[in-house]
Amino acid sequence: MNDTMNDTMNDTVNEGATTGTHGHFAGAVLMPGMPQLLAADPAPVWAELTAESKHVGTLLRDAGAETLVVLSTQWFTVLGHQVQLDPRLRGVRVDENWYDFDYGTMPYDLRTDVELAEQWAKEIERTGLEARRTHYEHFPIDTGMIVATGLLDPADTLPVVQVSCNLYAGVEAISTLGRAVMDAASAVGRRVAVVAVSGLSSGLIQQWITPGEDHVESARNEEWDRRVLGLLAEGRFGEVMELREQYAREAQADSQLRALAFLEGTGQVNRPADVRAYGPLWGTGGAVVHWAP
Amino acid sequence: MSRAFPVISVRAMSSVFKVPVGDRTWQRRTGGSPGHPTPAADEPVRDCRGPGIVAGILAPHPPQLLYAENPSQNEPTSEGGWEVLRWAYEDLRRRIREMEPDVIVLHAPHWITMVGHHVNCVPNPKGFSVEPIFPHLLRYRYDFRTDVELAEAIADQASDDGLVTRKMRNEGVRVDYATITALHLLSPDWDIPVVSLSANNNPYFYSTSSLDQMEILGESARKAIEGLGRRAIVAGSNSLSHLHWERELGLPEDMTYEHAYNHHQYRWDMRLLDLIRAGRTRELREMIPEHIRQTESETKAGSLSWMLSALGWPEDVGEVLTYGTVIGTGNAVCLWDMRGRQ
Ligand SMILES: [Fe+2]
Repeated sequence: MNDTMNDTMNDTVNEGATTGTHGHFAGAVLMPGMPQLLAADPAPVWAELTAESKHVGTLLRDAGAETLVVLSTQWFTVLGHQVQLDPRLRGVRVDENWYDFDYGTMPYDLRTDVELAEQWAKEIERTGLEARRTHYEHFPIDTGMIVATGLLDPADTLPVVQVSCNLYAGVEAISTLGRAVMDAASAVGRRVAVVAVSGLSSGLIQQWITPGEDHVESARNEEWDRRVLGLLAEGRFGEVMELREQYAREAQADSQLRALAFLEGTGQVNRPADVRAYGPLWGTGGAVVHWAP
Repeated sequence: MSRAFPVISVRAMSSVFKVPVGDRTWQRRTGGSPGHPTPAADEPVRDCRGPGIVAGILAPHPPQLLYAENPSQNEPTSEGGWEVLRWAYEDLRRRIREMEPDVIVLHAPHWITMVGHHVNCVPNPKGFSVEPIFPHLLRYRYDFRTDVELAEAIADQASDDGLVTRKMRNEGVRVDYATITALHLLSPDWDIPVVSLSANNNPYFYSTSSLDQMEILGESARKAIEGLGRRAIVAGSNSLSHLHWERELGLPEDMTYEHAYNHHQYRWDMRLLDLIRAGRTRELREMIPEHIRQTESETKAGSLSWMLSALGWPEDVGEVLTYGTVIGTGNAVCLWDMRGRQ
């Protein structure tokens, strides 16, 4: 981070600071990681999801975000919790399913906030969970991560920290990761925007469709998605978490919607959210939901 | 300890249709492929050196096995480990040589495709693959040859059989570690051409493969292989019981940590392997879904079902070359030698 940025951020932090980690929180977002959001010729609803993602990125930066903290369900792992420590992640990801589409080839160039990532790994370990420090050249970066960071911060002004989504981890562990990153932000004096990259219902359409043919795969899935989004908008976060398992069973929610537990762990989202967009992404449900600081 | 992996099945597609096992009337319909020897449908399709599928293999792909081999293509180095599993692969490689295959057709679960079944049609896949979960064990420089004609024929046949498919021709798609590990262990010189198939499943949506579709894909592969007159080995790359240690303790190749996850997992793996050894394939077919339910077996990705379907679920054949655990998961190297069989 450069000095100018730090000065600006310290001002913002002081303005926003109240107690605990609150002053280190610049907002949170739940957003999809499907690459259709990058399509050159999108369906209208894809374009809306894209525009709202970009808009939320502006809100996060305006709220003084210094670093994007990202958990993407597409970075799924099975051992411990991997924390990315490579200071510069550069390359071109060609998605193994969407390679024939313009949005399937994704150049990326990400800077890691290494100080925060190191501290996060320590905080994770302090809770008794395993943090696996990941720093390997050519390490595969997932599509969701590239989509989200590209839309939230198109000019690449913010560094990122990222953690993997362990397929076996329960909501308690995922929530702990969210708490740990706020403790880490507090320890190193960083104001962070917390990003959960996850879809909602996941009824993928098992056909090659045109953008105009996209629709949420079943009425029941859409009903579930809208019910959950309605509860989030009303600030009934706890109820969503109670319904989570049933939602996962009945609408095959992306990674059982455990990504929400990550946001819950920050202690900052148990209040009304701004549901900015919702729509189908190849049959799955995707929404852009913002929690202001 | 890991907890059970919750699995929610995806809805089976409605547009697929099945070809009865052993039905080769399609050959009469298509007339085979020009320029390739295709036996008439009412003649034996292969002798000891004839075309067709010469063997099926269950070829598990824990990256630890490749790491332990210390090949020059892999950056990390090890002190060995998992020797008994690796020795079985060594024996298997000798037998593969004797079979003189034209091609290895592999289905592996970590080229994950959300929509449909994809076939790698890149003539010379080349690149560097870092294993996302065990990057400290597998960072491998790969360079191999695809049997493009067969790859395309499998995709076309699967499409004709009602599956959603795609021919992958984009050189930028990184080859996954399961494909690399299994192929390296089967053919470390990479001198046998390859066809690599994707897995239509989705771990982050908690969906699993449709075993019905995998059986159809197996039949499609068989038809394409026979249609082009290839001598092929079909390999399905799956571990068996799939609960594993949640943490890596110390040196990865320290074998003092290596044992079955629990008695239940081990017993169910043995039940499955008993059927393979006895050649009771019909019963095995019935048992695979139950084994998945009981052990979270990686066969839920369908590679084993695909391979056995390609063989036509043959009775009275099947060998277990070895069984061993890798971070607690069950792994068996098995061979179905089809030479001389219809
Ligand atoms: Fe695997």
